[in-house]
Amino acid sequence: MLEIDGLYKAYGDNQVLEGVSFTVAPGQMFGFCGSNGAGKTTTMRIAMGLARADAGEVRWLGRSVDEAVRRRIGYMPEERGLYPKMKVGEQLTYFARLHGLDAAPAARAAETWAERLGLGGRRGDRVEKLSLGNQQRVQLAAALVSEPDVLILDEPFSGLDPVGVDSLAEALLEQCRRGVPVVFSSHQLDLVERLCDAVGILARGKIVASGTVEELRSGAAGRQLRVVAPDAPPGWAAAVPGVRVVSEQRADVVLELGPGTDDQQVLAAALATGRVTHFAWREPTLVELFRGAVTDTRAVAA
Amino acid sequence: MTSTEIRPHTPAQLVRLVAGREISTRIRDKGFLIGSGVLIVLILGMLVFQVAVNSGGNATELGVVGGSAAVTDALQAQGKALDTDVSVVDYDDEAAARRAVEDGDVDAALLSPSAAQPELLVEKSGGTAETVVQGAVQGMAVTQQLADAGVQLQSPPQVDLVALDPDADADTEAAIVALVGVVVLYSLLILFGQFVAQGVVEEKSSRVVELLLATMRPWQLLAGKVLGLGLLGLAQMLVIAVIGVAGALAFDVVELPGRLIGTVVTVIAWFVLGYAFYASVFAAAASLVSRQEDLASVITPASLLLVVGFVISIQAAQDPTGTLSTVTSFIPGLSPLVMPVRQAAGAAAWWEVVVAVVLMLVTIAVIVRVGGRIYSGALLRTGGKVKLRDAMRAER
Repeated sequence: MLEIDGLYKAYGDNQVLEGVSFTVAPGQMFGFCGSNGAGKTTTMRIAMGLARADAGEVRWLGRSVDEAVRRRIGYMPEERGLYPKMKVGEQLTYFARLHGLDAAPAARAAETWAERLGLGGRRGDRVEKLSLGNQQRVQLAAALVSEPDVLILDEPFSGLDPVGVDSLAEALLEQCRRGVPVVFSSHQLDLVERLCDAVGILARGKIVASGTVEELRSGAAGRQLRVVAPDAPPGWAAAVPGVRVVSEQRADVVLELGPGTDDQQVLAAALATGRVTHFAWREPTLVELFRGAVTDTRAVAA
Repeated sequence: MTSTEIRPHTPAQLVRLVAGREISTRIRDKGFLIGSGVLIVLILGMLVFQVAVNSGGNATELGVVGGSAAVTDALQAQGKALDTDVSVVDYDDEAAARRAVEDGDVDAALLSPSAAQPELLVEKSGGTAETVVQGAVQGMAVTQQLADAGVQLQSPPQVDLVALDPDADADTEAAIVALVGVVVLYSLLILFGQFVAQGVVEEKSSRVVELLLATMRPWQLLAGKVLGLGLLGLAQMLVIAVIGVAGALAFDVVELPGRLIGTVVTVIAWFVLGYAFYASVFAAAASLVSRQEDLASVITPASLLLVVGFVISIQAAQDPTGTLSTVTSFIPGLSPLVMPVRQAAGAAAWWEVVVAVVLMLVTIAVIVRVGGRIYSGALLRTGGKVKLRDAMRAER
């Protein structure tokens, strides 16, 4: 279990983190979302020992994360960092060795990962000669080359083409299957929704929502019901008790049900008007959940 | 999940890994190879120059027509007085002697030395040969006239020699060797100080430092970098020393090989101290900036100190007992350049050397501490120049 527990961090007067907490289970893929400047990078840097929390702790398997543990974490910083003049293969070997591998296994691992991420032919090239996309792959390989126990990746998908996104996603899913907890931050919420078992939404230095996407949906206020009844007279829905009409366009209405209101009552009322061609809960997308979560706190904070 | 191939590193292992990377990347770097080559060529050039100067200055070849043993003796005695080795070649007639002068086989040719009007053939007037011959002929003439007048010459009393400073020549020679050594030391300090500074900025500007610091502490990274490049610098110093000493011995440039080697060892020892000092200063200074373009502005003060030390050391070679060289040979940072020259010239007492070394060691200890703190504080701050004060009190 990777536990981020109550992190606080201020840079001068700027309180960046105000009690960030979440946990990631082994084999779980955790999507870390939040608007720009919400504190995602700061949280990850604290986990990697690159910034010191004013309060709070990061634990892995119940043990506070120290240097020995950190060497078992694969990390991809937001600002990509590689030696520009070093060859791809040598660079990967070097990082593998820094993470504790012996020379021969490190060289083997470097070869394997370069091959798997489609860099086999570029092992002898200097990093600066590679395209940005390929540099990104090297960066990922540097995080994976030591077969880490935990992966923390800051915006790993940014700047990748769709094929690159797919191969990276596949690589991460494979790590999850190996039992590695994976935390990654991203603004591509559709991707997070597709890949992640769990999501945390960070806003104003706090986790405002976390859990599986399903949990977020059920917890979200204002689940909406869409009903299409072509023969119904305008205003039929407003007459049903406990129902608020969100929008009404001819026969197509979107409703919010008050607590305790039975959706079957609504269906009955609709059927009473004639045909019903559509009756379904509308699942909010992660984008909507994100917007809702982020704007809520803004309102509170304001 | 941790496989048996993965073991936690000790700090020493991490430092060694960093040092290994520094050496293996630098040793293949074009700038490094060219710089090293230039230095070695420079040393060889100095040797060849010395050899050329020596061979030109200390020997005079004279051709003689109609000479005798007495003439040869007189010429050689005169040569000794003028500090040149005279060798005499006999020729049968004037034509042969003339040819020899024209071909450059001899410096000059003396015709009928015992006659009333001896003649000297030279290619152009104004050489050592002229003075030698002039003196010898005059001496012989005076002896001859005295003998003709019936004066019996008694051999003059032998002067007893009391040398007040028997090593004076050797001191000068050692000071010159030390100066050559300081030129190398200075060049290598500048070169490797630059390497350290560039390496620090490269890691900062490429942000790779974030990945590195996720696996090690700043001091380990700094120690590995400084040690790795330092070993490379020391190796280069040794290569140059071996080439220089071997060349000097082979070409017979120096008179006392023992002192030469002693001086070279002294210079190498001071290189180690000087490198520890300047590498730490350069690394701390370089950690304040994030771009290679800004590097010059922060390392200039330390570079200037190095230049000042170098200039003083040249002055010290001429005047090793002067106030300037005496005082500066104790100042940490200047002492690695000035003290070896004074030591070689025999102008420094053993306790002076000890004091200078201790002062230097204390300063290095302070600089490593303070510099290490600046380095750790500034390393993760990118963009713009970090203020020294901010770096010192930086908490991450």
